[in-house]
Amino acid sequence: MLKLDQLTRRFKDTVAVSDVTLDFPDGQMVGVIGRSGAGKSTLLRLLNRLLDPSEGQILFGDNDIARLKGRELRAWRSDCAMIFQQFNLVGRLDVLTNVMTGRLFEMPGWRAMAQVFTAEERALAIQALDRLGMAHTALQRAETLSGGQQQRVAIARALAQRPRILLADEPIASLDPLNAKIVMDSLRSINREDGITVVCNLHTLDTARDYCDRIIGMQAGRVVFDGTPAQLTAGMAREIYGAEAEEAFNESATSTSLASDPDAAAAPVRASA
Amino acid sequence: MSDTSTNAVHIFERHRAEMRASKRAMNILALVIFLICLALSMWISNFTPERLANGVPRIFEYFQTILPGLQWDVLFEGRNEAGRATPGSLTYWYTDFWTYMSLIWETILMAITASLLGAFGAFVLSFPAAHNFAPARWLHWVSRRFLEICRGIPEILLALILVFMIGIGPLAGVMAIAIHTVGALGKLFAEVNENASSRPVEGIAATGGTWVQQMLYGVVPQVTPNFTSYALLRFEINVRASSIIGFVGAGGIGQELNRVISFYSDDRVLAVLILVVLTVTVIDLISERLRLGFIGRENFA
Repeated sequence: MLKLDQLTRRFKDTVAVSDVTLDFPDGQMVGVIGRSGAGKSTLLRLLNRLLDPSEGQILFGDNDIARLKGRELRAWRSDCAMIFQQFNLVGRLDVLTNVMTGRLFEMPGWRAMAQVFTAEERALAIQALDRLGMAHTALQRAETLSGGQQQRVAIARALAQRPRILLADEPIASLDPLNAKIVMDSLRSINREDGITVVCNLHTLDTARDYCDRIIGMQAGRVVFDGTPAQLTAGMAREIYGAEAEEAFNESATSTSLASDPDAAAAPVRASA
Repeated sequence: MSDTSTNAVHIFERHRAEMRASKRAMNILALVIFLICLALSMWISNFTPERLANGVPRIFEYFQTILPGLQWDVLFEGRNEAGRATPGSLTYWYTDFWTYMSLIWETILMAITASLLGAFGAFVLSFPAAHNFAPARWLHWVSRRFLEICRGIPEILLALILVFMIGIGPLAGVMAIAIHTVGALGKLFAEVNENASSRPVEGIAATGGTWVQQMLYGVVPQVTPNFTSYALLRFEINVRASSIIGFVGAGGIGQELNRVISFYSDDRVLAVLILVVLTVTVIDLISERLRLGFIGRENFA
């Protein structure tokens, strides 16, 4: 169970995340929605401490995440994997090495420095890639892949961390609808099959409705909605999105629903052995 | 065409005329300042046309004293039975050829060693010296200042000090050039790092990687081609530097050049000069090929 208690983050005179109190039970798939600038990304970055909170607590068990330093902080980041809108792979490294960087925290320092990976680490990375249907690209440079493929490699890197929580910051905002569906299906199957908690920032409403057990709506740094997709009424959604409502509701623009696309049936994720 | 659009043209033209007028004034001012500086520097350095006119013939006089007295009929004559070379032959001119060659080899080795040492120091310091990746502000400040000091002291001065400290010989020269290389290359490397994308670095940070791992996995792969290219360029510069640095006793061909200039001032000066120029040119050409080849390969990969 991950608990946020009155979590606040300020940037100079703007408050990006304001007094957020939330519980994330283990194994839930949570979608965070809201217009751009609502504080979704900041909230996720606070969870793995890529940003430090200004006030409040982040509790995982009895651990106060907000106070971790050094090796303990890195241990938490290793437990709490993240995937990014722009994938954040190392373009000039091959795909396999990119995935194996997910093991860095567990590796002894000299092996990490010398970039020496063991057969087990390679095997784990290949299994993670294979699960996302990307094993055939293992020896290619990451920058030669398309956006959708890079995001699947990024998910494989996250899996290689053997995380307890997976944070996804707008994972499909830079992808076309087919790739968006592949990525979201992967995240859901990781959530269902491995029991990993997934917290996912999403810009579009229908994707959140289709994939998440629970939706959190944010507006101006505050949580204004927290409930099941069924509880999210059109009026509520309109309030969350404000002026961007039309864009968010326009399902053909950035949605993952591909009812008419035959390829969509080919789900890329296989259960790991 | 409506009145409003002709009006817009009119306003723009007037604005442009004003801009040009103020720019012209600035240009004239800059020219005046330049001329004053030029006049001042000529006055301080006693650079007058007469002095130049008097000096030019002396340059040719000097060249006459260092020209070899080659004679066509004995040009390729070797040594006689007594082991003496015939005056006027190439053998006579380049009596010490193999001494020069071994010193040139020493010069190149000095440049290679100094470049490797310097590039290593520059590599290590370039990460804290890049403002976007520095782990702490004080470390950034310290590494920046250190690089400035390293490149602020001229190589020849460093060599002079080091010759006093560790004695005459190539080690002083290597150290002097290496220290200067750390400063010069470190600044360039740091600027390359500042242009690197922070996304991969963030990706590595999110896996739980340390700062060193973030640099090694997130930054180094991005910057390797540029680092290599700059290091090769610096190697070219270091070959030139190491052929001069011997003037203060820091090893290499420069020491021999200094010796023949101060003791003989005859055709041996030209003999050494020709070899130095040839060496520098050949190294430049090879290194340029390597550099272009490397950058080219990167662009098409």
